Amino acid sequence: MIDLRELILDKDKLYPLLRKLKKEARLIAPVKNDHGDTLFTTIEDIDTTRIDLENQPQESLKPFFLPQQETVASYSVLNGEYTFTPPEPAQDTIFFGVRSCDLTALLYMDLIFSKPAKDATYYDRRNHSLVITLGCNQPFDNCFCEATSSGPYLEYGYGLQFIDLGDCYYVSAGRGRGADLLEKWGYFFREVTKKDQNRRYQLFLEARGQFTKNIQVTHACQKLQKETVAEEIWEKLSQRCYDCGGCAYVCPTCTCFSVDDMPQGRSNGIRIRSWDACTSSGFTRMTGGHNPIDRTRHALKRRFLHKLKYDFANHGKASCTGCGRCVDICFGGVDITTFIDLFTGQETP
Amino acid sequence: MTQNFIPEQAIIRKIIHENEQISTFRLELTNKNLPFTFLPGQFLMLSVPHCGEAAISISSSPDTLPLIDLSIRKAGELTTAIHSMTEGDQVGIRGPFGKPFPMEDFANRDLLFIAGGIGLAPLKSVIDHFLFQSTTEDNAAQSITLLYGCRSPADIAFNEVITSWREQGVDCRLTVDEKDSSWNGNTGLVTELLDHFKTSSNTRSLVCGPPIMIRFVIARLSAMGCDDTSIFTTLERHMKCGVGLCGHCHLDGKLVCLDGPVFSLDQLKKLDVMEFSR
Amino acid sequence: MTNSIGELVGADVLLITGSNTTETHPQIGRNILQAVDRGAKLIVIDPRKTDIARQAHIHLALRPGTDIALINAMMRVILDEDLADDLFISMRTENFIALRDYLHRLDLSELAKITGIDQATIHEAACIYARSSKSVICYCLGVTQHTCGTNNVQAVANLAMLTGNVEKKHSGVDPLRGQNNVQGACDMAALPAVLPGYQNLADMEIRSRFEAVWKCSIPATTGKSLTEMTHNGKDGAIKAMFIMGENPALSDPHLGRVKETLNTLEFLAVSDIFLTETAQLADVVFPAASFAEKGGTITNSERRVQICRRAIAPIHNCRPDSHIIMELGKRINCPGMEFDNDAEIMEEISLLTPIYGGMHYDRLAENHGLQWPCPYRNHPGTEFLHKYYFARGKGCFTITEHQEPFEKTENKYPFTLVTGRGSYHHYHTATMTRNSRRLVRECPQALLEINSEDCDNLKLRDGETVELRSRRGAVQIPIQITDRVKPGTVFSSFHFFEVPINELTVDAMDPQSKCPELKVCSVNLRKVAHD
Repeated sequence: MIDLRELILDKDKLYPLLRKLKKEARLIAPVKNDHGDTLFTTIEDIDTTRIDLENQPQESLKPFFLPQQETVASYSVLNGEYTFTPPEPAQDTIFFGVRSCDLTALLYMDLIFSKPAKDATYYDRRNHSLVITLGCNQPFDNCFCEATSSGPYLEYGYGLQFIDLGDCYYVSAGRGRGADLLEKWGYFFREVTKKDQNRRYQLFLEARGQFTKNIQVTHACQKLQKETVAEEIWEKLSQRCYDCGGCAYVCPTCTCFSVDDMPQGRSNGIRIRSWDACTSSGFTRMTGGHNPIDRTRHALKRRFLHKLKYDFANHGKASCTGCGRCVDICFGGVDITTFIDLFTGQETP
Repeated sequence: MTQNFIPEQAIIRKIIHENEQISTFRLELTNKNLPFTFLPGQFLMLSVPHCGEAAISISSSPDTLPLIDLSIRKAGELTTAIHSMTEGDQVGIRGPFGKPFPMEDFANRDLLFIAGGIGLAPLKSVIDHFLFQSTTEDNAAQSITLLYGCRSPADIAFNEVITSWREQGVDCRLTVDEKDSSWNGNTGLVTELLDHFKTSSNTRSLVCGPPIMIRFVIARLSAMGCDDTSIFTTLERHMKCGVGLCGHCHLDGKLVCLDGPVFSLDQLKKLDVMEFSR
Repeated sequence: MTNSIGELVGADVLLITGSNTTETHPQIGRNILQAVDRGAKLIVIDPRKTDIARQAHIHLALRPGTDIALINAMMRVILDEDLADDLFISMRTENFIALRDYLHRLDLSELAKITGIDQATIHEAACIYARSSKSVICYCLGVTQHTCGTNNVQAVANLAMLTGNVEKKHSGVDPLRGQNNVQGACDMAALPAVLPGYQNLADMEIRSRFEAVWKCSIPATTGKSLTEMTHNGKDGAIKAMFIMGENPALSDPHLGRVKETLNTLEFLAVSDIFLTETAQLADVVFPAASFAEKGGTITNSERRVQICRRAIAPIHNCRPDSHIIMELGKRINCPGMEFDNDAEIMEEISLLTPIYGGMHYDRLAENHGLQWPCPYRNHPGTEFLHKYYFARGKGCFTITEHQEPFEKTENKYPFTLVTGRGSYHHYHTATMTRNSRRLVRECPQALLEINSEDCDNLKLRDGETVELRSRRGAVQIPIQITDRVKPGTVFSSFHFFEVPINELTVDAMDPQSKCPELKVCSVNLRKVAHD
């Protein structure tokens, strides 16, 4: 997709711009808290909050579009009438400082939640949001977004993409709200020069050269279309999966969920959608006890085949975005990179 | 089109007590203006107050709309709760979901239905529909045979319906694993009923029951020469959404709520399916 | 732990005994697995084939209660193979000759028979452990919950000292604590015979230091251990009890005696976040605040004191434990019950407790806390212990002899029952975890692990309910056929009130630690008639 608009924002104009944006919508950006954790946080006071654009946010955007627990409806059972009410509408929100991998994940979620019908609460949030991304000039330790075509810079799909050139940002607008924003606040920006374009390209090349992990994602995806994974690989991996659900929870593209009703009184309650993990045995176990999946052998099979085989076949690319969060969190050391290395023969089982 | 987990309100018009464990709940949407219709083999997500939702196959045929039958076996929290409801109570339904049986392919065929226990429920929708068609149209079935097995005579469901079917020319053969003093019929597994049955290339087989029963019956049908494209089953899985989102019904790259629950053996052989693993 | 948790990754040999590490200490388990991925050798001693045992290069599936025999055998092999660290022994230890002579008199084939492990495997494990200078031992309740638990730990210490694997980084003896702050509770002397910091209660000078600050007189006599209290019985000396955040009505051995005690007390007060089985028996229940609703510090297995900050205000009327204790204290005219905040409490702790001497709140707020010993304000904390000397000066070898468990199997009770936590999903009588729909979904019921050979002999089907009986009581429990336990051994968790497995367990205790033998008792089982 061709960039419709490209401008430069000098760094000293960033907070003034954000101040204006914050008046129009809730502004959410990565902020480092007192314990050293960088998390997407609602900016209350623009004058005293330091936005952290150095460190990887621990969470992706997933909690904002598919919350860990979400009330999708409330119900009442009163005088014989069993009725449901939809939840409160979403708030206008602008996300700033989102990395390429996390926007790629959001675009994937857009696809998932639009078929066979548009998911009401997901799209309500989505339609009320603008995402401003920041390309990565320096990958983090566990990143491999290049191998998954989700970074370090994005070529399409973004509303607005910022690239840090040092003393200014190179800003590219996609369609829609991104372009509208550049229109409305144009006076903060200046024109792009040839020097800026060269610098951007140079930084892009440097970023690509700094990945410490070499994960053969495309090779694994292609091989999976033709070959069955040896049982020993599934068993070896599953033996070290201790059912913590961490990978599914931190993964930006894991969207599986459970829906349960929670009574809040004798005559009313709420219907809650909450994150779930296909690595758990209860995920597939039916009332009565039959379970089509034996997690002692296949705890990780669905997870990895979904991301690397089926999504690659259905969408043309893996749904793993190379963000590295599952590598950080896995207690057994059996994250997606372990599987890819084993299956492509980088490692012997 | 949006999906939002909010069901349509439905009233329980009638409860038919099939046996100690199974009752049929005849529902009607309270909003009569909703353009609700379905095809045999599809299922609903049933909401019961305070219990959430469960996926239940529709056991009536579309010909008896606006009434919708759900035949439910007491198994967990939700199914036990609905069994203590009465006529006039309200529930919620979402749907219909899933791929139905390929009814066009069944016209003029010898239809062979093989069911175990509550597995007869989704097949009943097909049987009733073909019996209805036989009175009005000429792409009815050539013949309809039902082989039905249950653990004991007390576990047999749809007794009155079976009597009515027999009167309409359906060849119904029942068997139980363990008989009691009242039982004069066959004993043994439902596969044994196939010993006295001949299939042909015009036979279409529809199988539904516990996973192990499906496996043995299908193996038997294949051994009898039935082609993979002529054998159908409907699979049960844990479901939470019915619309291909929640992931619980995953089946080797497919989703049972979207790509099934009706599958031909031909389709299943390409997948890694519990019902057929060793 | 003598080591810090992070050191485990750099060890070359990890000997894990009586610990189901991935299940009960996931972060430590993670470190162990990272070490294995680096090339370290893993040896696991456990009667059950736990998940960590499956990852081991050698799994020593010993007969329950034979740890001393196994370790003595390993030490004998080390001596025979000339793998002992002579320099360390001569410079840092005492009493080696006596141990050496004792080990030489032992019969290795006899020991192998006692443990149920073949000599060759014992030999291999011993050599692997001894050959490395970065060998770590981690142990947990599988070692201590025996009538010879103290001796078990002594045997472990012997083994480490024999090979010099205890004075340096990446080597040591690491008990993994059973709850997140049991180390802290022990540090603060929630124990019958010490004052905070393990200072000697019998020492008058130490007592007077505390008396000056606490403004009261402190009895010099040793108090009672947990099991002694809950097994006090109907005619015992204890008339009233205050139980905080503990559920002995489900978790203590020989529940019959526990219930007799609790039911015949004149007064029972319980402080907990849920109405547990114990709280249901109480005259007064204080609703306590959960971890998220209160602040304080937590001391973990690696002696690290960390601040936990309150995340939300207490819900409804529940109160932090400190508040409950201070308010009670004030009402009984206990002096010194006026702390304005946690930092002030910490100051008193550091004043009186040498190992916590430098643990002030402003210091703890940086760097994820400090590891004791940290005797004064500028001290950086201590990564690993015993660098140049042991607490008592030189390490002392103590001869430990194999001792059969209190209750042996016999014709009438032919199975050994082992109890433990049993799943990744429930924690300690499930008072919290059974309130989580997802955790209950993953582990909805108690199951008895039993070997397929035993099931074939008894004609049992998977999932069938059996009656499990010991000399003290019985439960009905569905079985799970598995190769995790060897024939002759069965295993159950203790979380489910409808299957109170501790009706069956024995309250025989280690004479020193008073820790009950929850890991071994003998039982029989039979089918339950079908309904």
